[in-house]
Amino acid sequence: MTVSLLALDYSRPIQPLFAQASRAGSIHSAFHHAVNITLDDTMLSLLSSELPRMPNSARLPPVVAEELLHGLRPGMQVWIGSASLRIPARDFSLHLPQTPPWEPRPGIADYRWSRKTVIHHIRLLAHHLAAQPQRGGLAPLIGPLLLGQPAPETPLSRMALPALRMLALASWRRDSAGVAEATRGLAGLGPGLTPSGDDALAGFAAVMTLLSPYLSADAAPRDDIAATIARVARPRTTALSAVLLAHAAQGEVAEHLGNLLLALALPAEASEAVLHAANHVLSFGANSGGDTLLGMLLALRALEGEID
Amino acid sequence: MVIHALLKRNTYYDSIALMSVAQAVKDLPGVVDVGAVMATSINCELLQNSDLLPVAFLAEQQTPPGPEDLLIVVRASDEAQAQAALAAAEQRLTSRGDRGATDSAAPLPVRSLELALQHNKAANLALISVAGEHAWLEAEQALRHGLHVFLFSDNVPIEQEQRLKALAVKNGLLLMGPDCGTAIINGVGLGFSNVAPRGSIGIVGASGTGMQQLICLIAASGMGISQAIGTGGRDLSEAVGGVMMRSGLALLANDPQTEVIVLVSKPPAERVAREILAAAQLAKPVVVVFLGTERFATIAGKAHVARTLTGGAELAVSLAGGDRTRVPGEGTLHKYNLAAERAKLASSQRYIRALYSGGTLCDEAMLLLSEQVGAVASNIPLRPEWALAAGETFRGHTALDLGSDEFTRGRPHPMIDPALRLQYLARAAQDPETAVILMDIVLGFCAHPNPAAAHVPAISQVRATAAAAGRSLPVIISLCGTEGDPQRLSMQRKALEAAGALVYESNVAAASAAASFVERS
Repeated sequence: MTVSLLALDYSRPIQPLFAQASRAGSIHSAFHHAVNITLDDTMLSLLSSELPRMPNSARLPPVVAEELLHGLRPGMQVWIGSASLRIPARDFSLHLPQTPPWEPRPGIADYRWSRKTVIHHIRLLAHHLAAQPQRGGLAPLIGPLLLGQPAPETPLSRMALPALRMLALASWRRDSAGVAEATRGLAGLGPGLTPSGDDALAGFAAVMTLLSPYLSADAAPRDDIAATIARVARPRTTALSAVLLAHAAQGEVAEHLGNLLLALALPAEASEAVLHAANHVLSFGANSGGDTLLGMLLALRALEGEID
Repeated sequence: MVIHALLKRNTYYDSIALMSVAQAVKDLPGVVDVGAVMATSINCELLQNSDLLPVAFLAEQQTPPGPEDLLIVVRASDEAQAQAALAAAEQRLTSRGDRGATDSAAPLPVRSLELALQHNKAANLALISVAGEHAWLEAEQALRHGLHVFLFSDNVPIEQEQRLKALAVKNGLLLMGPDCGTAIINGVGLGFSNVAPRGSIGIVGASGTGMQQLICLIAASGMGISQAIGTGGRDLSEAVGGVMMRSGLALLANDPQTEVIVLVSKPPAERVAREILAAAQLAKPVVVVFLGTERFATIAGKAHVARTLTGGAELAVSLAGGDRTRVPGEGTLHKYNLAAERAKLASSQRYIRALYSGGTLCDEAMLLLSEQVGAVASNIPLRPEWALAAGETFRGHTALDLGSDEFTRGRPHPMIDPALRLQYLARAAQDPETAVILMDIVLGFCAHPNPAAAHVPAISQVRATAAAAGRSLPVIISLCGTEGDPQRLSMQRKALEAAGALVYESNVAAASAAASFVERS
């Protein structure tokens, strides 16, 4: 008997995958609380609702996710389309609820943006990130990039720091070739299924797409920079990273990152709320949260002008 | 110094797992450095810059590794230590839950509706009791699997209730709930339920304790229950429209085992009540107990309207061919010498203090008390002006529903755990204006396993304390249960009476007894 389940929620970008005719994909990777499914050139994630919503996710109640994900293995065939996701090997099908989808593009336009307030928050968050216990990844580079501190002497920082500086400078100058070169130096770099360089690029791209129209010191939008980052990174990194970067370039981000971006619109005295939102981002993965926050802060700083 | 590597094609671990493995391997003897990365070209460059690039190993690969492959590299003092480190890395990765190609044959624990259905394909009813936030989802899945649903969960949004009930009706199924406390289906009790004989009286109710009172009084008369279908407390609201009461009514109308139907609810929406009464014009007798709405008697047509749960039970027993005098109703009022008890009260003792666990029983008591003694203050007041203010515990005659949300948030229902009610009992007893304390005790499945044992010491103590202060303190118990219940009605009654409590099986009788202590002259 086929077991039929209803997702708890789902993000808007995956809705068309269910609406079209059924197509075959396969399980890319399986974890305790998440399964990634490849379909053509995109990837869909089934998550336990204990995890934050992702731009490409459908979520299941924790108990259901535990039972379902337990039995899934990489390579298993998956059929997506005709209003369902089916995994024949497990006699399982998933349907989307009739409730409206979750929108992964935060409602930036609904807020009033003040460059002065955001600069205050950037400084607060930079110090907060620098104060975090460092386990690896690129987060330690917040010191040399934004706080005038010396750079850690590791092979990863020696490779990443020049590329991050170039990314910020080229973005301010709206230099596509420079952005592409910097991206080549970061895409796929570092530990993790989404390598650290990609997480930083995703945070950077999201800010360029979503906030550059409101916060650029020269009032010029820079969403083309995000598109360049996603295009150049795609062949150089993991499939999951490439998909998340493509979403970031569209301004579609994970729930916790979207909440932090919106928190930047809060007044300067709301620092506790901003730090609270940042801590949600930092708690994601081993290094991913810190890497994403680094990229986000670097992009916000880049919108102010050239970094010394 | 040697460099050894392990390549796992199309293999993915989360970064926390990889970092943990890398750190553990780094601590092994002879290991100088470890790298565990996805084999992107820039990570190969990173390995080279870290003196970790396994040049010879990579040269041996027929296909160069790529971004979807995991590369673990170890630099160690010698061959043996490097090999041991890689073996340890692989072992740790596997023990963390490697998802290999082979499927697990081990049976899965039954912790979901789907797995339960795989185990028992004949099941046709799901009992759902999960956090309200997720309850609609489970209920919808059950309905889509063709199952009737008993939805115990509360805090389900009304829009979801409307949608789920529409789906149930479309599929010819029952959605009992949300916030459905009681049902008896084919002799099987669900939720808070009592052990009653099978019989010819069917009940559809939007009130859990209201149904339990009916069931127990009917059982006491020697008659039995065919089915007792709960609808959830909001079913007869304007928003829901009595959808499930109509479904239940239709089912019982066609049920050959059911000869008499009883409908029970707290005050329904006017329009809904009229529609239900119109649907109740059946060949079978239908008794309607909509508390506080006797005005419907004029439009009831063939339906029989009762004012109280006790009255409804007596009518149903009579219509089903039983002896209504065997229902322990208001006729039991004077089994105790109430006048003698009243004579012992001090002049300061003027007010009734009712501490209920059942909302409908509390409602019914307030209706009767207000007719006999006037205003009754409450957290679920009959009139807005009788509402207790924030922080106010008692004001004149007072009836508290201690099972309502404000008292049960973060703690068990008082039918399960009487601790909170015993605190209120002590407070009421300390008040020199308290003339009589009225409480309900509900027996049956899910209720406290021995409520008399929990209440008797407290009742004895408050009565002794009051006596020491020169006051008599009557405690009246509305005891709702059957002899077949796990707690046994007679044992509970005996223990409570031994503590000096006056015990009635009819809530109407209990409330009337309480009123007799303070009735206006």
